[in-house]
Order: sequence, then C-alpha cells, then structure tokens
Amino acid sequence: MNPQLKGVEQLGGTYLFDLATSARALRLNRFLHGFTVPANRALFKEDPEAAFDKAGLSAEERRMVRELDWAALMRYGASFFCLEKLGRVKGVSNPEMVAGFRGESLEEFLKTRNVPGAR
Amino acid sequence: MAKILGGIGTSHVPTIGGAYDRNKQNDPDWAPLFRGYEPVKAWLAQRKPDVLVFFYNDHATTFFFDHYPTFALGVGAEYAIADEGLGRRAVPPLKGHVGLARHMADALVNDEFDISVFQDLPIDHGVHSPLTMFWPPSPDWPGKIVPIEINVLQHPIPTPARCWKLGQAVRRAVLSYPEDLKVVIVGTGGLSHQMNGERAGFNNEKWDRKFLDLIARDPRKLVAMRHADYIRLGGTEGAEEIMWLAMRGALSPRARKIHQNYYLPMTTAMAVALFEEPDAKPAPRKARSARKTRRNGARASA
Ligand SMILES: [Fe+2]
Repeated sequence: MNPQLKGVEQLGGTYLFDLATSARALRLNRFLHGFTVPANRALFKEDPEAAFDKAGLSAEERRMVRELDWAALMRYGASFFCLEKLGRVKGVSNPEMVAGFRGESLEEFLKTRNVPGAR
Repeated sequence: MAKILGGIGTSHVPTIGGAYDRNKQNDPDWAPLFRGYEPVKAWLAQRKPDVLVFFYNDHATTFFFDHYPTFALGVGAEYAIADEGLGRRAVPPLKGHVGLARHMADALVNDEFDISVFQDLPIDHGVHSPLTMFWPPSPDWPGKIVPIEINVLQHPIPTPARCWKLGQAVRRAVLSYPEDLKVVIVGTGGLSHQMNGERAGFNNEKWDRKFLDLIARDPRKLVAMRHADYIRLGGTEGAEEIMWLAMRGALSPRARKIHQNYYLPMTTAMAVALFEEPDAKPAPRKARSARKTRRNGARASA
C-alpha cells in the first residue's frame, strides 16, 4: 500500500482514484473524457446508444450514464473530473453532482452551504 | 538575469472563471471573491512581471489516464484554452515564454528533476480560471506564462516534500536565466474540498486558515505532512495544496505574505494569498547599496 495514503481507508465516504480504480474504469473514463471533443458530444446528444456502441460500453456502464446515476458512477470508478464533462454536456452543475454523491437532493445539499446562490 | 518578484497561491475552481465571464463582480454572492483579488491585480499591474510560472493541475482534460504525467512542463509559444465539455471560454489563447521554458527544461533535467515536456496542448481551468481575476486580458494577456502540470488526480501523486523540492529547483532554473525577466510564481488549487463519495462537500475552514498561516510562516511543517493528512484535514481534492508548496518552495525564505482572502460559498474554499520578495520594491536611492551588500551576503550563505 502507498504509505502516503495510510489512514485514508478509515475515512468514510471517500473513494480514492488510484491505479486499480483507474484500470477498472478506464473504458468508461475514456468515454467521458471524449466529451472534450465537440463531435463526440454531438453524437452522444443525437444518438446516445450509437455513442455507447462506439465506446464499447457494457450494459451497466450505459445504464449509469443514461440515468446520470452519479453515486453508482463514482462507486464504479469514474473520475470526478471525467464525470464533470458529462455534467457539462447534460447541463448538470457540480453542486447537483455532489448532492448525488451524498444521496441528497440539490435543495437539501444547498441548505448545508454558506452561499447557496453562488453557482 | 531573471528575478522572482513574488508568488501567488490561489484556488482554481471553474466557477471563479465563470463568475468573471458572467460579470458577477457586483453580485453580493460573488463580490467578496472579486474584492479578494483586487490587491493581487493591483500588485501585478504595478510590478509588471513578464512571465507567470504556474504550478497547476490538469483535470483529465489535456491528459488522460492512459498516460498521466506526474510533472509536465509546457515549452510551447501558445496554449489554446481547453474545451472541457462546454466549448472554450471567450478569452485569448495563453502565451508561453519559450526561451524561459526551454531553459527551465534544461536546468531542471540537469538538476536531476527529469520532467516531461509538452508543446501546444490546450490548458484547462487549473491555470486560466483564477488568471482572469488578477491578470485579465485587455484585449490580450498582459504577459506570458510557463505552465508546470502536477498530477493530483491519480494516486500515487507526488509527495508534498517532492513538490517543495520541485519549487526549489524551479527557483534555481529561473534565477539562472540570463535575460532580465521579471517572474512571479503561481501555485493553484485547493483549499479544502472533496468531490467524491458521501463525504463530498467536505470543508474545514479551521484547517484552511491554519494552512494559510503555515504556508507563510512555517512551510516546512506542511512539507513534512503526508497525503493522508491533507485528505483527512482538507478532503481528497485538498491534495491540490501541494501546488502551493511548489510555489512557496520557489520563493526565498524571506518572502512575506502581504495579502490574503478566504471565501467559502459552496463546495470549495476559495483562497488567494500574495507573497512578495523583499527585493521587489525599488529601494530609495541611498538605501540601495546597503541592501545590496546584505543581499549578496545572504546569497553566499544560501
Ligand atoms: Fe482542481
């Protein structure tokens, strides 16, 4: 184990993105990273199934992306920074994604913030 | 010879650039953020650096996990603003200082810091989100940059101590550049935030304020900490604070923090701190020769 990270396993609700996670979710993250290219965004908006086919996503990967199941995507190994690109394509803000990770609604999450309007 | 005027530590959340792009300076939700950058903007406008050297992290935008560089130095003349899923921000491409960057590549590698290099890759909000707050284009950028990417996304990420040493090596590299350039070092990222899991949304203002104190007063304490400490205290993305350590490592021990701002509206603590080297201010004529003697003495013992 990486000695720099010893103790992190005791923190609840924390998913470290390490080489094992990276390898496990490489295909999904590559698909999400692809949203930095306008043509990939266009295909996904027009025909999501064709975009999934092109990326060779599994049935479970497709379901999570289709339903924007943020918590499941995170557990599966998606990098937040790749998910962020999916968020932008679907018009979902970071606070809304964070609420999803926490199992809260956006409204519930905003109640815990200092300046809920700063979005 | 090139000289270092000072340093800036700053958060780089995309919403900082977004607030600038949407002209939110008079919106009460955003005004405290804008106000916090005013002294930094004024200092840069007065000191007029030629180059900002940036320690920043990419966000799986320029680089992907098929090859994620631990440290990468930009040596290009121009960097496009990266498309992060929404198209590009309406700001000009960043201008790179090729001469300094190539010199830094030589100096770092010969100093046994075997950094990888990149040319004309697009750069994401890790650099330009805060940049518009203190060095806005009007219409073009006031100067050039040298970007240094640090991996904080995929563990193992470089240790705090290694980032500190990178900063020191960058200092040696910049100060050995023969051209008379004025350089400011910037470290971007943090402060406390976590963007994954049920712990997402974690912040720790008490730790953030301690970090802002230690980075100026006793950075060695921060250098000695492990990533597990940073993650426990500041959340998984609090690890971005190692870019501040690289920036601080590139300054002299005599650099003083002359301004800071802290604002925590949503999920990320947005902080900025300005450090000034004692030489930066032109001294009055008669004080100058005395100060020069002292400075040379300090250099000889360094
Ligand atoms: Fe970041």
